[in-house]
Amino acid sequence: MDFRPLNELERRNLVTALRGNADGNRVLLMDPKDTTFAGTADDVPDEEVIHAIKSVPCHY
Amino acid sequence: MGLLDTETGKRRLLTVEIPVIEKYNDGRDAQYRIRVSRVGGTLLLAYRLKPGHNVYEVETRLLSSYPTVPPETRILSPLKHCPHLLEGQTLCLWRQGSTRQTSRWDPGKFTCVFAVQAAWRWLACYELWHETGEWPLPEAK
Repeated sequence: MDFRPLNELERRNLVTALRGNADGNRVLLMDPKDTTFAGTADDVPDEEVIHAIKSVPCHY
Repeated sequence: MGLLDTETGKRRLLTVEIPVIEKYNDGRDAQYRIRVSRVGGTLLLAYRLKPGHNVYEVETRLLSSYPTVPPETRILSPLKHCPHLLEGQTLCLWRQGSTRQTSRWDPGKFTCVFAVQAAWRWLACYELWHETGEWPLPEAK
Protein backbone atom coordinates (compact mmCIF):
# COMPACT_ATOMS: atom_id res chain seq x y z
CA MET A 1 0.00 0.00 0.00
CA ASP A 2 1.18 3.54 -0.71
CA PHE A 3 1.86 4.96 2.72
CA ARG A 4 0.67 8.52 3.21
CA PRO A 5 2.54 10.04 6.17
CA LEU A 6 1.24 12.48 8.75
CA ASN A 7 2.48 16.04 8.44
CA GLU A 8 4.63 17.54 11.18
CA LEU A 9 1.73 19.07 13.11
CA GLU A 10 -0.40 15.93 12.87
CA ARG A 11 2.55 13.86 14.05
CA ARG A 12 3.19 16.11 17.05
CA ASN A 13 -0.49 16.09 18.01
CA LEU A 14 -0.74 12.32 17.76
CA VAL A 15 2.42 11.70 19.81
CA THR A 16 1.20 14.05 22.54
CA ALA A 17 -2.23 12.37 22.52
CA LEU A 18 -0.84 8.83 22.70
CA ARG A 19 1.53 9.67 25.54
CA GLY A 20 -1.23 11.49 27.43
CA ASN A 21 -3.44 8.45 26.99
CA ALA A 22 -0.71 6.09 28.18
CA ASP A 23 -0.22 8.27 31.25
CA GLY A 24 -3.90 7.83 31.94
CA ASN A 25 -4.98 11.46 31.75
CA ARG A 26 -6.21 11.88 28.14
CA VAL A 27 -8.93 10.09 26.21
CA LEU A 28 -8.23 9.46 22.52
CA LEU A 29 -11.17 10.28 20.27
CA MET A 30 -12.00 8.45 17.04
CA ASP A 31 -14.17 9.94 14.33
CA PRO A 32 -17.42 7.96 14.67
CA LYS A 33 -17.75 7.62 10.90
CA ASP A 34 -14.32 6.47 9.74
CA THR A 35 -12.18 6.04 12.90
CA THR A 36 -9.76 8.86 12.00
CA PHE A 37 -7.98 10.45 14.98
CA ALA A 38 -10.25 13.24 16.22
CA GLY A 39 -8.26 14.73 19.09
CA THR A 40 -8.35 14.15 22.83
CA ALA A 41 -10.54 14.97 25.81
CA ASP A 42 -10.28 14.86 29.59
CA ASP A 43 -13.20 12.45 29.70
CA VAL A 44 -16.25 11.44 27.65
CA PRO A 45 -19.86 10.71 28.61
CA ASP A 46 -20.87 7.03 28.72
CA GLU A 47 -22.81 7.18 25.45
CA GLU A 48 -19.70 8.30 23.54
CA VAL A 49 -17.24 5.88 25.09
CA ILE A 50 -17.55 3.55 22.09
CA HIS A 51 -15.77 6.23 20.00
CA ALA A 52 -13.11 6.90 22.60
CA ILE A 53 -10.07 5.11 23.89
CA LYS A 54 -9.87 5.67 27.60
CA SER A 55 -7.55 3.06 28.93
CA VAL A 56 -6.74 0.13 26.71
CA PRO A 57 -4.50 -2.38 28.41
CA CYS A 58 -1.47 -3.01 26.24
CA HIS A 59 1.99 -4.11 27.16
CA TYR A 60 3.81 -1.42 25.19
CA MET B 1 -15.99 -21.03 28.61
CA GLY B 2 -16.52 -21.50 24.88
CA LEU B 3 -18.16 -18.44 23.38
CA LEU B 4 -20.08 -20.48 20.83
CA ASP B 5 -20.56 -23.85 22.45
CA THR B 6 -21.46 -23.27 26.10
CA GLU B 7 -24.52 -21.64 27.66
CA THR B 8 -22.34 -19.15 29.54
CA GLY B 9 -20.46 -18.30 26.37
CA LYS B 10 -23.61 -17.85 24.33
CA ARG B 11 -25.07 -15.64 27.03
CA ARG B 12 -21.98 -13.46 26.97
CA LEU B 13 -22.12 -13.31 23.19
CA LEU B 14 -25.76 -12.23 23.15
CA THR B 15 -25.70 -9.86 26.11
CA VAL B 16 -22.22 -8.34 25.89
CA GLU B 17 -20.32 -8.86 22.65
CA ILE B 18 -23.06 -8.51 20.01
CA PRO B 19 -24.65 -5.42 21.64
CA VAL B 20 -21.28 -3.67 21.88
CA ILE B 21 -20.52 -4.45 18.23
CA GLU B 22 -23.95 -3.08 17.24
CA LYS B 23 -23.23 0.06 19.23
CA TYR B 24 -19.82 0.42 17.56
CA ASN B 25 -21.41 0.06 14.12
CA ASP B 26 -24.27 2.44 14.78
CA GLY B 27 -23.93 5.49 12.50
CA ARG B 28 -20.55 4.39 11.19
CA ASP B 29 -19.71 4.48 7.48
CA ALA B 30 -20.48 1.04 6.04
CA GLN B 31 -16.88 0.27 5.08
CA TYR B 32 -15.68 0.90 8.65
CA ARG B 33 -18.22 -1.29 10.42
CA ILE B 34 -17.28 -4.55 12.13
CA ARG B 35 -18.44 -7.58 10.11
CA VAL B 36 -18.85 -10.77 12.13
CA SER B 37 -18.59 -14.31 10.83
CA ARG B 38 -18.05 -17.73 12.31
CA VAL B 39 -15.10 -19.91 11.31
CA GLY B 40 -15.37 -23.25 13.09
CA GLY B 41 -15.27 -22.52 16.81
CA THR B 42 -13.88 -19.03 16.26
CA LEU B 43 -15.73 -15.77 15.87
CA LEU B 44 -14.06 -13.55 13.28
CA LEU B 45 -14.38 -9.76 13.33
CA ALA B 46 -13.31 -8.02 10.12
CA TYR B 47 -13.06 -4.23 10.01
CA ARG B 48 -11.08 -1.25 8.77
CA LEU B 49 -9.22 1.35 10.81
CA LYS B 50 -7.81 4.68 9.71
CA PRO B 51 -5.99 6.43 12.55
CA GLY B 52 -4.21 8.79 10.13
CA HIS B 53 -4.37 8.95 6.35
CA ASN B 54 -3.99 5.24 5.65
CA VAL B 55 -6.72 2.60 5.76
CA TYR B 56 -5.84 -0.78 7.29
CA GLU B 57 -7.76 -4.02 6.92
CA VAL B 58 -7.87 -5.72 10.31
CA GLU B 59 -9.08 -9.06 11.60
CA THR B 60 -9.73 -9.99 15.23
CA ARG B 61 -10.34 -13.61 16.21
CA LEU B 62 -12.26 -14.57 19.32
CA LEU B 63 -11.01 -18.11 19.87
CA SER B 64 -13.08 -20.77 21.59
CA SER B 65 -11.14 -19.95 24.79
CA TYR B 66 -12.22 -16.28 24.63
CA PRO B 67 -12.74 -14.29 26.86
CA THR B 68 -10.39 -16.13 29.22
CA VAL B 69 -7.76 -15.84 26.51
CA PRO B 70 -7.57 -12.38 24.89
CA PRO B 71 -8.55 -11.84 21.26
CA GLU B 72 -5.94 -12.23 18.55
CA THR B 73 -5.66 -9.34 16.14
CA ARG B 74 -3.74 -9.18 12.91
CA ILE B 75 -3.38 -6.61 10.18
CA LEU B 76 -4.16 -7.88 6.70
CA SER B 77 -2.74 -4.81 4.92
CA PRO B 78 1.01 -5.14 4.31
CA LEU B 79 3.17 -3.54 7.01
CA LYS B 80 6.87 -2.88 7.41
CA HIS B 81 8.39 -5.05 10.10
CA CYS B 82 8.30 -3.08 13.32
CA PRO B 83 8.29 -3.48 17.12
CA HIS B 84 5.35 -5.30 18.71
CA LEU B 85 4.54 -7.19 15.53
CA LEU B 86 4.51 -10.99 15.61
CA GLU B 87 4.48 -13.62 12.89
CA GLY B 88 1.59 -13.32 10.46
CA GLN B 89 1.29 -9.60 11.22
CA THR B 90 -0.36 -10.46 14.53
CA LEU B 91 -0.22 -7.58 16.98
CA CYS B 92 1.59 -8.04 20.27
CA LEU B 93 -0.89 -6.39 22.59
CA TRP B 94 -1.34 -8.24 25.86
CA ARG B 95 1.23 -9.96 27.98
CA GLN B 96 -0.15 -13.18 29.37
CA GLY B 97 0.38 -13.67 33.07
CA SER B 98 1.41 -10.11 33.67
CA THR B 99 0.61 -8.79 37.12
CA ARG B 100 0.68 -5.24 35.82
CA GLN B 101 -2.82 -3.95 35.22
CA THR B 102 -1.87 -1.87 32.20
CA SER B 103 -0.56 -4.86 30.27
CA ARG B 104 -3.07 -7.49 31.26
CA TRP B 105 -6.26 -8.61 29.53
CA ASP B 106 -9.14 -8.67 32.01
CA PRO B 107 -12.01 -10.85 30.73
CA GLY B 108 -14.34 -9.44 33.36
CA LYS B 109 -13.90 -5.86 32.21
CA PHE B 110 -13.14 -5.90 28.51
CA THR B 111 -15.08 -6.77 25.38
CA CYS B 112 -14.08 -7.47 21.80
CA VAL B 113 -14.36 -3.74 21.03
CA PHE B 114 -11.43 -3.18 23.39
CA ALA B 115 -9.43 -5.25 20.93
CA VAL B 116 -10.55 -2.96 18.11
CA GLN B 117 -9.53 0.08 20.14
CA ALA B 118 -6.21 -1.52 21.05
CA ALA B 119 -5.59 -2.19 17.35
CA TRP B 120 -6.39 1.45 16.56
CA ARG B 121 -3.87 2.63 19.13
CA TRP B 122 -1.28 0.16 17.85
CA LEU B 123 -1.79 1.43 14.30
CA ALA B 124 -1.48 5.05 15.45
CA CYS B 125 1.89 4.10 16.99
CA TYR B 126 2.83 2.32 13.75
CA GLU B 127 2.10 5.43 11.66
CA LEU B 128 4.48 7.41 13.86
CA TRP B 129 7.12 4.67 13.93
CA HIS B 130 6.96 4.47 10.11
CA GLU B 131 8.10 8.08 9.89
CA THR B 132 10.44 8.41 12.85
CA GLY B 133 11.75 4.88 13.48
CA GLU B 134 10.79 5.31 17.13
CA TRP B 135 7.84 3.58 18.83
CA PRO B 136 6.08 6.46 20.60
CA LEU B 137 5.04 4.59 23.74
CA PRO B 138 7.31 2.94 26.29
CA GLU B 139 7.02 -0.77 26.86
CA ALA B 140 5.35 -1.84 30.07
CA LYS B 141 7.12 -4.37 32.30
